[in-house]
Amino acid sequence: MSRRARLWLLAPALAGTMALVVWGFTGLADFGHFQGAYGNLLAKVAVPERKATDIVVSTTFDYRGFDTLGEEMILFTAVLGLVVLLRELRGEQEEEEEAHDDQEGHAGREHRTSDALRIFGFGMVGPTVVLGVYIVTHGTLTPGGGFQGGVVLATALLVVYLAGRYAAMRKVSPLPLLEAGEATGAMAYGLIGLGGLIIAGMYMKNFIDPGTKGSLLSGGFIPLLNIAVGLEVAGAFSLAFQEFLDQTILLRGDGGSE
Amino acid sequence: MNHLAPLAVAVPIIAAGVLAATASVASRRLADIVAVLTAAASTTLCAILLAHSGHHQVVYWFGGWQPRSGIAVGIAFAVDPLGAGLATFAGLIVCVALVFSWRHLETISHVYHALMLVFLAGMVGFCLTGDLFNLFVFFELLSTAAYALVGYKIDQRAPLEGSLNFAITNSLGAIMVLFGISLLYGRTGALNMAQIGHSLAQQPADGLVVAAFTLLVAGFFIKAAVVPFHFWLADAYSVAPTPVCAVLSAVMSELGLYAVVRIWWSCFHGAFGDHEDALRAILVVAGTITALIPAVLCFAQTHLKRMLAYATVSYIGLFLIGVGLLTHDALGGTAVYLVADGFVKASLFVCVGIIQHRRASVDEYRLHGRGRDMPFTGAMFAIGGLALASLPPFGTFLGKSLVEDAAVKEGYGWVIVVFILASAITGAAVLRSAGRVFLGLGPEGESEPAFEVDEETETETGDDEGRRRTPFVMFLPVIALLAGGLAMGLIPRLPQAALRGAAALQDQAAYVAAVLHGAAGSVPHLPAPPPPTGLDYLYGALSSVGALVLAAAALFRERLPALVPRPVANGAGAAVRAVRELNSGRVGDYVAWIVAGVTVFGAAFSLTLL
Repeated sequence: MSRRARLWLLAPALAGTMALVVWGFTGLADFGHFQGAYGNLLAKVAVPERKATDIVVSTTFDYRGFDTLGEEMILFTAVLGLVVLLRELRGEQEEEEEAHDDQEGHAGREHRTSDALRIFGFGMVGPTVVLGVYIVTHGTLTPGGGFQGGVVLATALLVVYLAGRYAAMRKVSPLPLLEAGEATGAMAYGLIGLGGLIIAGMYMKNFIDPGTKGSLLSGGFIPLLNIAVGLEVAGAFSLAFQEFLDQTILLRGDGGSE
Repeated sequence: MNHLAPLAVAVPIIAAGVLAATASVASRRLADIVAVLTAAASTTLCAILLAHSGHHQVVYWFGGWQPRSGIAVGIAFAVDPLGAGLATFAGLIVCVALVFSWRHLETISHVYHALMLVFLAGMVGFCLTGDLFNLFVFFELLSTAAYALVGYKIDQRAPLEGSLNFAITNSLGAIMVLFGISLLYGRTGALNMAQIGHSLAQQPADGLVVAAFTLLVAGFFIKAAVVPFHFWLADAYSVAPTPVCAVLSAVMSELGLYAVVRIWWSCFHGAFGDHEDALRAILVVAGTITALIPAVLCFAQTHLKRMLAYATVSYIGLFLIGVGLLTHDALGGTAVYLVADGFVKASLFVCVGIIQHRRASVDEYRLHGRGRDMPFTGAMFAIGGLALASLPPFGTFLGKSLVEDAAVKEGYGWVIVVFILASAITGAAVLRSAGRVFLGLGPEGESEPAFEVDEETETETGDDEGRRRTPFVMFLPVIALLAGGLAMGLIPRLPQAALRGAAALQDQAAYVAAVLHGAAGSVPHLPAPPPPTGLDYLYGALSSVGALVLAAAALFRERLPALVPRPVANGAGAAVRAVRELNSGRVGDYVAWIVAGVTVFGAAFSLTLL
């Protein structure tokens, strides 16, 4: 289709679809008047039953924990897909890496990173890791959990890249280790669910005592699931960052020319 | 025994994690064995579930969160015979595909195996779940795995483009599904399908329900590739590795239709049930268009995988007519037809994979006569073509007869013509290629440059010795798949079981009682449908013989007296080319068609369902 023909097809169609969606929205409850039985029920029972003060976490990891297994697997699969689709360039990468290492030694990144950035960056790595671990482990108490904390952990790696050199980043995070970490996190979630079946007689059943409200280990197996997800998400995002950086820096040579 | 339901999904997920985690230490062969065994275990679990669900609905509440006074707290698997049957079928096809991959595909580490297992887990969960949001999660999971698998052969350009078009269009579908779910949640405050259906039936339907229904149906129609949502399919299926093609074509497209069946009977039937006749007419018309246009495009193809991709779309149209008739005998017949056809189409894809392995091409003209020394593959390919044209006693014939009889009962007798035409034309395309490739029939020709394919292979060949023989692990799947297609037509009590399963799926009251109130709803007892009559055999003969005649006419065009006046023939050729050019490979075009499709279906639904 020509660009014009496509626009002629799209414009009325888009108008029709928008009209349909808006018509649908007018049927929604007015602002502040939504009375969903499900949400109201969970809001009432979640804290007494699960002792976790973050209801979002007890919903996503316990009442609807099976959904989260699927969502965690979607991220796992997406990153596996990334590894597949970007792999062609891996073979070339190994050869080029040595050549680039030499170049970088002379004219490479070190010269373009200011001392201030390096000192500040390396100083940030530790706090970033601590913050990430904190968010992963305190998901049951405050907003956060494995998904959010895992992303924070992965950014620590980016800080290393910003502050130092690409090679330094590669050294602290070898690819096989990241791949194994990501896969272990994904697998662990499924295995903890299996633990529910074996110990408590139902898949994804919370088989650990929920403890007392407000303590770090409340919520039964929810902290364990958060750690599994944290590991998976940190591994997945690190792997994704690395794959994309590999593409730009090593293969297109952009790293030296910017 | 209910605990088998979660394991059918959890086992392949955990195994995928193990394979990915041990990628750097375990050998390729070990990964092959683990993957096949895992898929077989999941299939067995689904088959046991299928046997159980034949007696009563199997409901499994994850985490033990039973509903409280009719409100679902957790997520449930609600397993009925059709869902469990489709999950079992998906497992079987993945097993066969993994066996075929044994010698096929150079894999990097074990990512291929892990992706196939996640793909299977997604499909099984999709078939078993009773929760609308969980359905969306598995929809995303199986789609993500499929995008990566389609683009697997990254050393060529076409797979990446096919994968990209696939990912963009299907993500658009996922967004529509998500919008539909949120509208329904805004109305009912529920995510469990039984609860949504119960709640929607309490009050008259309005614009919100129509919009939600349209968005959900359109989203799933993109996955199923109903016209005009279908353009991505030929791009994706023609470039995927062969074992992946078999799974995509035999199962994944069909899952889109299953989802539409599921949401109609579980969620919307109570709200729109009075307007069933209107919906029936819309779906049958959509199915007719989807069956006929792609059938012609299938016949006009010489790229074997692309040809089978169009055959897949054409059959989706036939199945849409079957489920669109909205009766239990049509749905049961469609279930038989779908599985039998899935086996046959997978076997055809595998045959193409063997040709590609031996001759490094999938173009009919380039392969002209080069399959003469592959008699076995040729015979299997031709038998597959005849089975596609619903030759008795294949399951395709039985399923087609059941749907046709059901259509006559509903006053839609004319769709029999559509069934005969679509199955004859798609079968003829396969038979024509078989004649040209394996017998060297017909004149040599030139394939159109635009549709030429790279001569590259996707297989491990080792040396020239590998090209001269077809490995046994490649033949085995073809035989198993064709036997499956045949068995679907011969198992004595199968039609009755399928009809009972369909009736169970359509009984919304029993579904709600079983899911939300723990009733042990029994599957209704129904008499066996009458065996195919003489008329059914006549229709079967018409499509099989029609396929043979059409194939012969295409091969020996030059020797035929000019039956069709030249201007008419030229005009028809130009029309086919024009329609084919709509499939431009440009994803912007496809998105425009998708949005147009949403508007058309939305307008049709709002005018008739309220």
